[in-house]
Amino acid sequence: MINVIDLQKEFLEGETPTPALRGVTFSIAKGEFVSIMGPSGSGKSTLMHLLSFLDRPTGGTYTFFDKSIDDMTDIELAHVRNKDMGFVFQSFNLLAKLTVYDNVEIPLLYSDVAPAQRRALIEEAVRSVGLEEKLYVEAGRLSGGQKQRVAIARALVTEPNVIFADEPTGNLDSKSGIQVMEILADLHEKGRTIVLVTHETRTAEFADRIIYLEDGLIKSDTEVEKSNISKEAPLK
Amino acid sequence: MIFRDAVQTATRSLRHGKMRSILTMLGIVIGIASVIILMSIGKSAQDYILNQVQSVGSNLMFVIPGGSNNGRLSSPAASQGIVITTLNERDVTALLREPSISAVVPEVRGQADVIYGDNDVVEGYEGTTANFFTVRNMQLEKGYPFTQNDVVSENHVAVIGNELAKTLFGQFVDPIGKFIRLKNVSFRVVGVLIPKGTGVGGVDIDNLVIIPTTVAQHELLGINYYNDLNVQANDAYDINFVKSRLAFVLQHNHGITNSAKNDFTIQTQADILSILGSITSVLTLFLAAVASISLVVGGIGIMNIMLVAVTERTKEIGLRMAVGATNRDILEQFLIESVFLCFFGGIIGIAMGAIVVTGIYFLVTGFTTVAWTFAFPISAVVLSLVVSTVAGIAFGIYPARKAARKNPIEALRYE
Repeated sequence: MINVIDLQKEFLEGETPTPALRGVTFSIAKGEFVSIMGPSGSGKSTLMHLLSFLDRPTGGTYTFFDKSIDDMTDIELAHVRNKDMGFVFQSFNLLAKLTVYDNVEIPLLYSDVAPAQRRALIEEAVRSVGLEEKLYVEAGRLSGGQKQRVAIARALVTEPNVIFADEPTGNLDSKSGIQVMEILADLHEKGRTIVLVTHETRTAEFADRIIYLEDGLIKSDTEVEKSNISKEAPLK
Repeated sequence: MIFRDAVQTATRSLRHGKMRSILTMLGIVIGIASVIILMSIGKSAQDYILNQVQSVGSNLMFVIPGGSNNGRLSSPAASQGIVITTLNERDVTALLREPSISAVVPEVRGQADVIYGDNDVVEGYEGTTANFFTVRNMQLEKGYPFTQNDVVSENHVAVIGNELAKTLFGQFVDPIGKFIRLKNVSFRVVGVLIPKGTGVGGVDIDNLVIIPTTVAQHELLGINYYNDLNVQANDAYDINFVKSRLAFVLQHNHGITNSAKNDFTIQTQADILSILGSITSVLTLFLAAVASISLVVGGIGIMNIMLVAVTERTKEIGLRMAVGATNRDILEQFLIESVFLCFFGGIIGIAMGAIVVTGIYFLVTGFTTVAWTFAFPISAVVLSLVVSTVAGIAFGIYPARKAARKNPIEALRYE
């Protein structure tokens, strides 16, 4: 599904080009749960932005469902983000004054789903994160864990092929963090592809595979040994 | 994004910042209300002035001494304070022989102390003939107009304006039969006009003393010419034909063979209405232009607030882009918000303008004798709505483009 070959990204700091990714190569198959780890400045967020079509690479190739990012216009990228990708952010990015329903509806506003069909999709997505009783509560009134669950519902509502989660437990307490990760793990078990960026080993180990980045290069790409993990242990 | 969703999203954003939306709209509300009020007052003033001209009588033409080179807005010499003595009794007699003319009313004017008892005011007086009252639609509240016999016999009789009657005689004394003095000449008051306001040429009819021409010429002014002639066309003839006949008779009388050298100017009621209509229209437009400055200021206010909103909502923009909004979707959302602010501001402004214009109407008609008409031109309403919507687009486009051009990654990171 995701094929990356020698992917590079440079940023300009003044006149000087600074490499953030210096040539990474890997693939992610449909239905995989992959964590991208690495220390601060390793390039994991940059890689996430490239994989989720929020940015374009300066070198290498990236194909998503056999279509190269280089062949797509900005409008096509926006359509792919809407149809095939879901996003969960560290800081939730909910609109505080809108209700849970209205927040979850946002991706549908930019989709080709007719207004009459939206309600069922929104209710199903909110039910899947266990917040059906909060459907008409303002997002700003929810707890951190509940906010992140709303964000997951928002990511799910368009039934995307892949969910990108950028430090989804970073702003949560340990218990809420585990709840969120369990929801993501459950989605994975139901066949959803999940790409998770985190710097927490316990969070990363919810995945099947961990890609470890350092200085813009892949240092390791390993399968997770599930028998060694206790899901009851606190995160962080 | 379908348009319905774009509208809902924009209205939801505006609803969530009610106070900000109201304050943002205020500039446009004041701007549109100013345009509506000034255009409505301008139209009322225009109607009032034109009604005053029309009220002097139908099929009326004015002959003023001195040429005006046929320029539409150039004033004849007599209007510029130059004394011209070319219009006289001979002209009146010749014009009365012309079948297309039904009446000729000469006028002379002056100013004098008007005295009754201890009351003493300086007012204008007018010497004219008896048919002045019918030709100029002058109706009397009390008494009767003087007759042609009074004119021929040089009787010292006067008809006075309504306001002057109150000034000289107060509320309780009947002016009819009383004697007033102008330049030490006594006149018996025989009639009082109904309130009429200001007439053609800015003459304050309510404070006028009207006396026979003969007396005014011989005893007050010492002249044998007229200041102007009022000529009433015979209804059976076309007004332009009558105008040409009038010119022909005067040219013949004055020995003029080249019409470019006419020593008189003929103005029809249509000419005066056309000139006044042009002037008042320009004045109304000028007032609207002045008011539109406040509209521009209001628009700039909207642009400022929208720019602040774009900065404040950077994270929201980043989120919307991440989940599939295109640059065009973001541009549309902010543009619709701006247009809505201006459009609804415009509607509130129109309503406020209507309330103020109605208030002015009741104030003017309730507390003055001015025959003010209520005018609320539809053109001003349409113009206001169009202008406010265009202002919404014009002043919203820059903030909306700024929002649409944001980098989604930077927008998502914005704190």
